[in-house]
Amino acid sequence: MSEQAVLLQNMAAGSPAKFERTSVIERYYDALGKGRLLAHKCTRCGRYTFPPTTCCEHCGAWDYEAVTLSGRGKLLYASHGIAPPPHPRFAEIAPCVYGQVMLEEGVAVQAIVRGVEPTPAALRALFERGPVPVKATVIRTADLPVLGFEFA
Amino acid sequence: MRNRLREPVAIAGVGCTRFGNMLEAPELKGKSIQEIAAEAAREALDDAGISGQDVDAVYVGNAMVHSSQTPATQTQIAKWIGMQFKAGMHFEAQCSTTNVGAALAATAIAAGVYDRVLVIGVETTRTKVKGYSPYEREPLSAQQTWLWTDMAVNQAYAVPQGYDIFSTYNGLLALAYCRKYGVSIDDYERGMFELCRTRRFHGSLNPKANEQETLEQVAQRYGFADPWAFWQSPENPFCAWPTRVRSLVTTADGASAILLARVEDARAMKSQPVELKGFGICHSDLPWYTDDPTFWKFDKIATDNAFEMAGITARDIDYLHTHDCSHISGLCTAEMMGYLEPGKGLAAAREGRLRFDGDRPMSTHGGRHAFGHAWAASAGSDTYEAVLQMRGRAGKRQMPKPPEVSVIHTHGYAMVGTTIVLGAM
Repeated sequence: MSEQAVLLQNMAAGSPAKFERTSVIERYYDALGKGRLLAHKCTRCGRYTFPPTTCCEHCGAWDYEAVTLSGRGKLLYASHGIAPPPHPRFAEIAPCVYGQVMLEEGVAVQAIVRGVEPTPAALRALFERGPVPVKATVIRTADLPVLGFEFA
Repeated sequence: MRNRLREPVAIAGVGCTRFGNMLEAPELKGKSIQEIAAEAAREALDDAGISGQDVDAVYVGNAMVHSSQTPATQTQIAKWIGMQFKAGMHFEAQCSTTNVGAALAATAIAAGVYDRVLVIGVETTRTKVKGYSPYEREPLSAQQTWLWTDMAVNQAYAVPQGYDIFSTYNGLLALAYCRKYGVSIDDYERGMFELCRTRRFHGSLNPKANEQETLEQVAQRYGFADPWAFWQSPENPFCAWPTRVRSLVTTADGASAILLARVEDARAMKSQPVELKGFGICHSDLPWYTDDPTFWKFDKIATDNAFEMAGITARDIDYLHTHDCSHISGLCTAEMMGYLEPGKGLAAAREGRLRFDGDRPMSTHGGRHAFGHAWAASAGSDTYEAVLQMRGRAGKRQMPKPPEVSVIHTHGYAMVGTTIVLGAM
């Protein structure tokens, strides 16, 4: 039974104790902190919603099952951001390399990339290599685990 | 979706302030946000030869209320534009705001609810309210502007995990464009240089532009006789390799206004009206693209809907503005629309074809880089320019033959793809 179906069943049963659920956003970061990429897989169309929301982002169906993505994929392109960064969370590590990744499940993800310097020479060399295999990693900031990728 | 207006709607008047810094630009200095909104509104009303009391509703757009601190803006400026006791709203579609407002106004007019609607966009991205002062303002840092602006971007996942506009909107597209079309990084650089030169040239011909120096003049100010050497220097650093800062938006304070009315009503007003023939609006959360960062699906949907409603094809376009916060993104959109050949946008820039006197004129006001960007007011500034061009009143940057069909595309962060089609009447 999907999490949504469980929630609806709990609502029907009128069990207030079972309403004390965390936000799906909190569940995502909690899973990420343990090294897991939480996604929702639609029980109607079978496609993934990552990061997870309240329904299938593709067909709008409300039923899904929580799944873990492999974290493996290909880095297609990598550029960098600015320093100081707009968000203070990244003040200590900016400028960050930021990349476009296609996960092996077919999901497009943008995230910080570790293991390459944010310099024109390093990024040009990476670009000339073409798509590069990467795997997910967790970047520990002061207040939040953050998804990153490193070379596989 | 029937995707049509039940009766034709026209733009009867347009207005736009100078875009710039309210603490520095002579045309803005010392004014309040109420006064710059009223200045744009007054120009649009005077253009049509009517007063605020002759209008049924006012839709006022302001995206970044952190710096303006005037929510329910329509009520707060009603007495400044002669529109007490009227209908209206405060709304926003970020950087598409004013043109989404024009579409909403056209919908209300074509439905028979209102006869005349005034759309206003007002924004301050360079300055903010100082303390609790009713009239004093203070500078806004670029970092603070982007932190507040990014609140329009996925706040559950993307921004908390390091989302960055400069790579997402620029560097990654640039690399994808180069790989897709076999363009070298060096040729990309040269194309971006030429595009910036064109946009700044347009800005130098526009007394309302944020940046009115040509690229050559900027280079000289920094001590470079050769603008290409300046372009490649540390004075023009990479913001997101391979993209440099002068391929980006410049921030500005400013306001714009568009008066819409029934076609027959507009014909009887003071100035030459322009028909709003069609519009398309389509939004997307991140990611804006998947394995091909040069193709943005929501822009295609918005454009297809606008062209269908207007009954035009790309061949009919005489003048085009595409959202160019990122110069490479603006070229990708123009290529997607069919105005430029896929993979040839950089070459078109190098050949001068995108100038006001070229065969593929674009962004003759200077675009987001030279005209500047005041979020909710900017789409209105694009429409203002198109109307001036269509009337043959764009001054030194007037296209040799006034356009019959103009297309304006904007990106509302993040993202509201919006395309409108204007036709001569």
